[in-house]
Amino acid sequence: MKRKKQDQDLLPGTLEMLILQTLRRGPLHGYAVAQYIREASEELLNVEEGSLYPALQRLLREEWVAAEWGLSPRNRRVRIYRLTAAGRKHLQRETAGFDRLLTGISRIMRPAES
Amino acid sequence: MSAITRWLERRRIERDLAIEMNGHIEELAEDMIEAGQNPEQALQNARRKFGNVPLQMERSRDAWGWTAIGEFIADVRFGYRLLAKSPVFAMVAILTLALGIGASTAVFTVVDSVLLKPLGYRDSGDLVVAWERLAFLGPGVEGPNPLHEDLWKKRATDFAGMAMLNQGSRGVALGLEHPRITGSVTAEVNLFDLLGVTPMMGRGFAERDTIKGSAPVAVLSYALWQGLFGGDPNVIGKQARVGDTLTEVIGILPESFRFPNRNALPTFNTGQRGSAAPEPGIFLPVAMDLSQFGWSGDYGNWVALGRLRSGVDIRQAQAQLTAIESEVGDHMRAQGAAAQPTVFVQPLQKAVVQDSERGLWLLMSAVIALLLIACLNLANTQLGRALSRRREAAVRSALGASKWRLVRVSLAENLLLAFAGGAAGVLLATEGVNLFRHYSVVDIPRLAEVDVNLTVLAFSLAVTAGASILFGMLPALRLAHVPPQEALQANSGRATGGRSSRSASRWLVGLEVAGCAALLTITGLFGKSLLHLMTQERGFDTRRVAVAQVELSRKTKSDPAVRAAFDDSVLEALHAIPGVDSAGLVSAMPLEGESWIEGIVRSDSPQQDNPQLNLRWVSPGYFETTGQRLVAGRFFEERDRNLNGVVLSEGLAKKLWPARTPLGGEVQIQGRKFNVIGIAADSRATSLKLAPPNIAYVHYRDRTPYTTIFMVRGRQSGEAMLASVRQAIWSRFPDVTITRVKTLDAQLSDSLAIERFQTMVLVASGGAALALAMLGIYGVLSCSVEGRRKEIGVRMAVGATRGGICIETLRESAVPVTAGLGLGLLAGMWASREVRGLLYGVSGIEPELLLGVAALFVLVALMAGFLPARRAASVDPMNALRGE
Repeated sequence: MKRKKQDQDLLPGTLEMLILQTLRRGPLHGYAVAQYIREASEELLNVEEGSLYPALQRLLREEWVAAEWGLSPRNRRVRIYRLTAAGRKHLQRETAGFDRLLTGISRIMRPAES
Repeated sequence: MSAITRWLERRRIERDLAIEMNGHIEELAEDMIEAGQNPEQALQNARRKFGNVPLQMERSRDAWGWTAIGEFIADVRFGYRLLAKSPVFAMVAILTLALGIGASTAVFTVVDSVLLKPLGYRDSGDLVVAWERLAFLGPGVEGPNPLHEDLWKKRATDFAGMAMLNQGSRGVALGLEHPRITGSVTAEVNLFDLLGVTPMMGRGFAERDTIKGSAPVAVLSYALWQGLFGGDPNVIGKQARVGDTLTEVIGILPESFRFPNRNALPTFNTGQRGSAAPEPGIFLPVAMDLSQFGWSGDYGNWVALGRLRSGVDIRQAQAQLTAIESEVGDHMRAQGAAAQPTVFVQPLQKAVVQDSERGLWLLMSAVIALLLIACLNLANTQLGRALSRRREAAVRSALGASKWRLVRVSLAENLLLAFAGGAAGVLLATEGVNLFRHYSVVDIPRLAEVDVNLTVLAFSLAVTAGASILFGMLPALRLAHVPPQEALQANSGRATGGRSSRSASRWLVGLEVAGCAALLTITGLFGKSLLHLMTQERGFDTRRVAVAQVELSRKTKSDPAVRAAFDDSVLEALHAIPGVDSAGLVSAMPLEGESWIEGIVRSDSPQQDNPQLNLRWVSPGYFETTGQRLVAGRFFEERDRNLNGVVLSEGLAKKLWPARTPLGGEVQIQGRKFNVIGIAADSRATSLKLAPPNIAYVHYRDRTPYTTIFMVRGRQSGEAMLASVRQAIWSRFPDVTITRVKTLDAQLSDSLAIERFQTMVLVASGGAALALAMLGIYGVLSCSVEGRRKEIGVRMAVGATRGGICIETLRESAVPVTAGLGLGLLAGMWASREVRGLLYGVSGIEPELLLGVAALFVLVALMAGFLPARRAASVDPMNALRGE
């Protein structure tokens, strides 16, 4: 599985973690996920919206999310993604790893504050 | 949804994804419109915000892993097109691979079924054979004395059971038809329980079947049931004539049941095999009457088959039997016997296949060697092709293809070749194995079990993949390292040069020559051995002789006078055949090993230690028929009917009477007295592979045998007399069992069947390898000449002669051929040590053989280099210099 750099602003794999975290709150369709990430990060994260989709395919392949056709709040026919049990576990692992990474980096960058 | 389903439905998935992404863009636009932008602007902005749709589509495809598959398929298609452009090369390559892979698969099928696969019985790892070994009987093993075995059965707690059995042939018939010959197994009643086999119809043996006076019963194999009774479902209870006895069929064994024939499981094993024996078809029960046997003697008539208790190690069992054997020794000493036997226990599978093991591994090695040589050849050819595609590779590299990408096309091409060759090879192998099974005279144990199975297919696949890598990787890697600037050099054109790739080619050729030389050396040894076996002095003449083996029934012909009358009558009938010069009989088939081993004592010096001998009952006319030479005294005549004469073989006579002539002396054999009336020259009557044995010949009236071999020598060929012999015997006794009728020449051939087969396979492999080596040398020189056109042109322009160029071209092959030859001959010499046990009359590698192989290669190299050298010599310097 090639891990091409998805986006200049994110470390590899982070986008997937964000998507999983978003879906934790409940099933959403693609556009809603993008919207949430945009709004919840208060525009700090500038994710190219299209790059969501390869990430979603990867998540589907690993069976961390499952998808079904349904209706969006605007009555459009969309695919709705939801988190699976395996996905939940993976998210826990990734979150823990990410926290460690973050702590490690800030210890170096801001030694006085850690 | 599995990965395969997803791949097949990928178009649909992609369409859905496109819909999804477009929907996303529309939603984005809607939001922007709500925020106040005008619709067209909003759509444009939305698109821009979303990003590059095709790019994301491709990334999604990547995420699913389809890109890789798609690229692979493209590579394979491209590889196929490349191959289609050079169909000759493709055909030759596929054919070479098919032969190589087919041969290895076929031999591996046999090796797997015979040596590796466990026997088909329940827990067959627990089945063992227990032998006894006696110093004075030689190094081989013997079936145990029944009294000894009985003691083992009583005392050995490590064994779950033991059964005695022996094998022979019986004629079986329904009604009055001529009997068909089948292998027979006579065994104690617990045989089937021991093996863990339940008959599929009827029952196995029971104690009551062996009570004296009870009706004779038999259990049939599936094959015999089909053949004799036509698969009659009501066969149980029906009767068949076995020999002369009406026997009731009580059970039919399952179709998958196999039992080793009498060659695979003989009652004594000196390492010599008889000619091909039939699969056992009929099983007869017996109860051992121990009162018949003493504690000494009576070895080698029964095989003791045993089953170890589960969890018992074979060494434990061996130790236990050895301990019990000392009790046997006590009994023997009490009866005055001196020699004590030792016990030897081996797994049943080992006992059955051990004689064939070495030969089969030899075949496997030869065939693998051939496959390797074929792959080397292909590698060389591929190298040549790769060189001619350097330009294309350079262009692609300049356009941005990664090294891996360049290699992949080559790999795809090779995989195509390999799988085509592999598939053809497996087909060839299956056909070959079937042919072998049906038409082989070579008696390989478990031949009936040989079958192409999953292990074999896995092996074949591995070999195929290995071959493809072997001959594909080197050229592929070469392609990958082409610097792109070559594409920019207008001059380079057909740059089929590069010293490094030429030297790689030469290395490959050198290796090919080495492998070929080693193979030829071994072939030479086997050829010599076979020649030796066939041309050495045998002491008898097999031309124009027909033999017929007859089994007399123990029931109807139990009176020796009746048997003697039978023999007299048949001999008379045989003499009456037109064109017959002499006829006789003997009690054992020639060239089937030693049998009827007895001791001998000189009446006038009984304390003298004498060797064991083979005892044979013969008629007057026997020696004339076999063409044996008389050394002293006379052979049997009519008048010897009631005299106690014996004819000794030369070597035996010398050992008995080293100082004076044996004629007139008296000896005792089997407790009876005989007078020496003649000495026959030593002959290899028991086996061509052994030294001439000690034989004592006695008139058949002494103890007329049940198994009789009649022989006739005539003026026509042996073939022409076969029918008349059979006719003559049946004209007097229409329902006697004639086990087989063949010419003595055929019997001789059959006794060497394995050696002939091995030599034939080696010669075929060696010949093929030689042809491949020749092709390899030709290919390398050809390429080299092509690549050095300009250089040759220059040299000719400055004064080199055509002859000089010619010689120089040939010399190019000198180094690899010589080096390969040296390596190969060394390898051959090392290998010869491993196969020494399979050779006869050959004491290691003689210098003539090495010189012969070397000379052969020099000749081959010259032949292979002839055309390229001529081409080099005919280069027109003007054209070459102008050249492009």
